[in-house]
Amino acid sequence: MAIAEKPLHYLTIHEAQQLIRSRKLSPVELTSAVLERISAVDGKLHAFINLKAESAMSEARAAEAEIARGNWRGPMHGIPVAVKDQLDVEGAPARVRQFTQGVGDATAVRKLREAGAVMLGKLHMSSMPGPELPLPRNPWNTGHITGGSSTGSGASVAAGLCLGSLGEDTAGSIRNPSAFCGLAGLKATYGRVSRYGLAPLSWSLDHCGPMARVVEDTAHMLNAIAGHDPKDPTSSTVPVADYTSALREDVKGLVVGVPRDYINECASRTESLVLKLVGAAIDEFKSLGARVEEVKIPTLNLATIANAVIYYNEFWAAHKSDAAGVLKTGAAQRRARIYLGLLTNSADYIQAQRVRSRVRAEFAEVFKKVDCLALPCQTGPAPLVKDVGPIDTLFKHVVPEYNGPFNLAGLPTLVIPCGFSENNLPIALQLVGEPFDEVTVLRAGYTYQQHMKWYERRPEIQ
Amino acid sequence: MDKLIEQCLRALLAREGLEPKAGDLEQFAEIIELYVGNLKILHSVNLGAEELGPVFRPDWTGK
Repeated sequence: MAIAEKPLHYLTIHEAQQLIRSRKLSPVELTSAVLERISAVDGKLHAFINLKAESAMSEARAAEAEIARGNWRGPMHGIPVAVKDQLDVEGAPARVRQFTQGVGDATAVRKLREAGAVMLGKLHMSSMPGPELPLPRNPWNTGHITGGSSTGSGASVAAGLCLGSLGEDTAGSIRNPSAFCGLAGLKATYGRVSRYGLAPLSWSLDHCGPMARVVEDTAHMLNAIAGHDPKDPTSSTVPVADYTSALREDVKGLVVGVPRDYINECASRTESLVLKLVGAAIDEFKSLGARVEEVKIPTLNLATIANAVIYYNEFWAAHKSDAAGVLKTGAAQRRARIYLGLLTNSADYIQAQRVRSRVRAEFAEVFKKVDCLALPCQTGPAPLVKDVGPIDTLFKHVVPEYNGPFNLAGLPTLVIPCGFSENNLPIALQLVGEPFDEVTVLRAGYTYQQHMKWYERRPEIQ
Repeated sequence: MDKLIEQCLRALLAREGLEPKAGDLEQFAEIIELYVGNLKILHSVNLGAEELGPVFRPDWTGK
């Protein structure tokens, strides 16, 4: 669809920034359109928990005036975005902190503001404390979940309630909702984006990253938020690439690895449609000039449980001082994580870290032979709300699946749609790169996206 | 829930001055038993004596 025919709320960041830069679209006009969209459909989706309409309009007016003066800051200038509640925002600390203080703007939020983005507000996430809020619904079919824990991010971006969102991923929480809602979601390399101001679930597994409608938008957002942060001791000093350099349709000669043994290990829990569509996507890479090779990562079958052990132990350590409160008033998943963390002894935690090193070494060997890996992201499309219990996610954290291993190894991972189920729910492909090589996964994802154009489908919610 | 796991969890909670929320141990029995079972699998891999996890480095300042 031509840009001129699209509703403004469904413009991609890439399209909107071109129009804003050339002054064919004003940030005020765009932000007004998005706020109207929120007003029209968020009553059905429940994505926003703290909408800052007034300040967003004020920021949009400031962006418009600045651009009119000839000071265009870059592609995020005047773009309306929203963030998962787990990130602190000045005046709106993460609610999951519950018993601890926020820090003002998280570094990733601050960087988005410095890039000129318009902050619409904060979005629902799974396991929020306090009075139970309505669960966000999937815009493709409101009887289905969005996936979590970046629930509001998934719903809001897919439905045009913002143009992009920051999510957080400890065991799949960017990729899950991106997959279920038909988005491009990028968990960059651990250390690439500062965790400062992100309420901790697990210090060594938490990744902050962009969720958007197309690959190029994740590149624009990553350009804005990537880089070393002295406030985050785990943030990396590796130089930051220009991620938009990846936006070219070219995978000729690229070697795509397929961890077939691992996919087979997960196959009994994976719907055949997912395996079929991901297989077809891998075949498309061949037709586009890539070479596909099967790879073996012998210890990958232990990576999910190792990720869970580290997750629950670091969660327990991070929440030891407020555990009594969490057990009294926290959500079921948070209480369960405390029990699981307590039940793990020091030898288990150290073993999980040793498995982590082994898995990292095995990935390093594989990446000497291939440029990226391709595999499913989910075992099926988004389930029905009524079929999902409060701690169901935890069962996925402790048996081999497609998300946790890449938190454990800290690898850059992009999910993009690769088809739809019969009832029009998105299915995703997952692409994984070697540390700090976001450019390759973005290039592979962009080439596939431009060839298949799944992003042109949109949910029909009105 | 497996009696030994339950006793162990209750003792660990008590050591921390905590108690489980009413109904939690019944509600979470299945995930707790699955997790504890899978911890054993984690130890099934044969790692070398010098295959370490991330280690302390004296030049790391945390800044």
